[in-house]
Amino acid sequence: MAKEMSKARILRYIAKRVIVYVVTLFVAFSILFFFLRLIPGDPVSRFIRDIELRYSYRIANTQEIIDAYKEKFGLKGSLWTQYTSYIRRVFLEFDFGPSFLNFPNSAQSLILRRLPWSIWFLGLATLMAWVIGILAGGLLGWKRGTKIDSAVFTVALCMSQIPFYLVALLLVLIFAYVLGTFPPRWAFSPSISPGLNLEFIASVLKHAALPALSLVLVSTFTWVISTRALTITILGEDYLMFARAKGLNRLRIMNKYILRNILLPQVTGLAMSLGFVVNGFFLIEWIFSYPGIGTLLIQAIPVLDYNTIQGIALISIFTVLSANLIIDIIYPLIDPRIRTGG
Amino acid sequence: MSQEQKKKTFLTRFLSGFSALLRNSPTFKVGFSLLVIILTLAVFEPAMNDYRLGGHKSTEFGAFDQFLPYSLEHPLGTDHFGRDTLALQITGLKFSLMIGITAGGIATLIAVTVAVGAGYLGGKLDAFLNSMTNAVLVTPTLPILIAMAAYMRMNLQLISLTLAIFSWPWAARTIRAQILSLKERGYVELAEMTGLNKFEIMFTEILPNILPFVGVGFSYATIGAILAETGLRVIGLGPAELPSLGLLLNWAITFGALAQGYYELVVAPATFLILIFISFNLINVGVEEIFNPRLKKITGL
Repeated sequence: MAKEMSKARILRYIAKRVIVYVVTLFVAFSILFFFLRLIPGDPVSRFIRDIELRYSYRIANTQEIIDAYKEKFGLKGSLWTQYTSYIRRVFLEFDFGPSFLNFPNSAQSLILRRLPWSIWFLGLATLMAWVIGILAGGLLGWKRGTKIDSAVFTVALCMSQIPFYLVALLLVLIFAYVLGTFPPRWAFSPSISPGLNLEFIASVLKHAALPALSLVLVSTFTWVISTRALTITILGEDYLMFARAKGLNRLRIMNKYILRNILLPQVTGLAMSLGFVVNGFFLIEWIFSYPGIGTLLIQAIPVLDYNTIQGIALISIFTVLSANLIIDIIYPLIDPRIRTGG
Repeated sequence: MSQEQKKKTFLTRFLSGFSALLRNSPTFKVGFSLLVIILTLAVFEPAMNDYRLGGHKSTEFGAFDQFLPYSLEHPLGTDHFGRDTLALQITGLKFSLMIGITAGGIATLIAVTVAVGAGYLGGKLDAFLNSMTNAVLVTPTLPILIAMAAYMRMNLQLISLTLAIFSWPWAARTIRAQILSLKERGYVELAEMTGLNKFEIMFTEILPNILPFVGVGFSYATIGAILAETGLRVIGLGPAELPSLGLLLNWAITFGALAQGYYELVVAPATFLILIFISFNLINVGVEEIFNPRLKKITGL
């Protein structure tokens, strides 16, 4: 009986989370959609003018053609019709619509081609920062109050506030121009043709080093700060005092009592920041001319390629929120302390 | 309590809080001193540049020869347009701070309004405002900002307003959490029982007590606005008549300063930006250390 009740409670909890998830997804996307449409600009006539210029060819009956293109790109009718038809196209047909940058191909094919480049170096850098940051932060918390702790903590406080694009610029300056160790731009050397050979892989690694490093440098310190704070809170808890009084050895305490309690909240943080990877760091890509979706976004904006911009943004919103939802649902299963509640 | 007394307690409270911060938190002290230096530079920018450049404006093309080396007259030399590099940095600092602080101020106003509505009035309004806050928080706002900056003519007010619209959610969250915890305190309940209405309680009991967190919120919003503004300017967007540090970076990058060895054109604006970020952040950490006892334990100070 009691078991059944708690089951119903968990189900209600999950249902509530899912509703919040769907609502937030729609609101966030709608904010983006309507703000983008507030911008004055007529991408279709511009697109047609570009075609005329490029092929030095006059398109007759321009108005009719503009209308046809508007229809195709989902720019016809009132804002509300555009909005509903876009939602229908994306969520029912899983189609982001055609893109101006890559006409007649779809926005999703363009995004999918660039996405791996972003995921590969940004994802790897985020993971690296996370692992290093948690280990270092846990250690600092354990050694709180010592000289090393306060020194590293102060450095971390300052470093974590420096915007990553400034770090990127300074790294380019030092490693690409002064020392010349790493290349300043592109994902691989243009003289090498892509393929599965050692030369290409080495080139890709070498080119990803600086952009990845600039991210690792900044976000490691953010993880250090939060992990250190968590560790110190846990160290003050009664159960830890009890464990110590019992005479458990330090390694066991570290592993069983501290690490486990740190990992839960930090996994949530990791999931969130992996979501932001999709769009949060496009300035790094721009600085290094890296062919990821960040650079794609900056290319799409001047031609007001709505479908591509919205597609990238939608992917980003979707990842952040989904990561959050999954964590929210798994959390009560792992951590009994928050099994109930609203 | 008479009106005058109330004002006095408000002011003395503020001042005593401030001096407690300066006395007890070295972090706050360092951050605050840094900020004072930066602000002084920015405020006296016109006089200083006028004196140093002998009547030339810092952004004037060809005011001096190109690429002059470091000297007493031009401590950082001159750039490819014959402008004094140091004077440009200070002008850039002024505009970055002006845009950031205006945007931060507007964002704080929005955040306090939302937080008060959500945290104190509560109920359905809380649920609605909270989901709005979360939605803006996950919306990738830089694409919107970039698109707006690329297509609209911006001036100081407009760019600050645009930045503010997207930089309030963190502050709103922090302040709301504080209001929620204050609401449960005895004295607020007491005030409710004595028949003060909601607005009186808001202004006399709650707002004075969340002041430090409003300050932290303002500081975070300002940093966020400067971060976003610099991001926009680095890729070359925004009004050219507001040469902020980000625009200086863009000028340096498009000129190819790094490849040609004029490193100071990139290092100088980056350094000033880093100083801004560090000073605001140290202030925040200091305030939180003192006013958030749970955190005081955490930072171990």
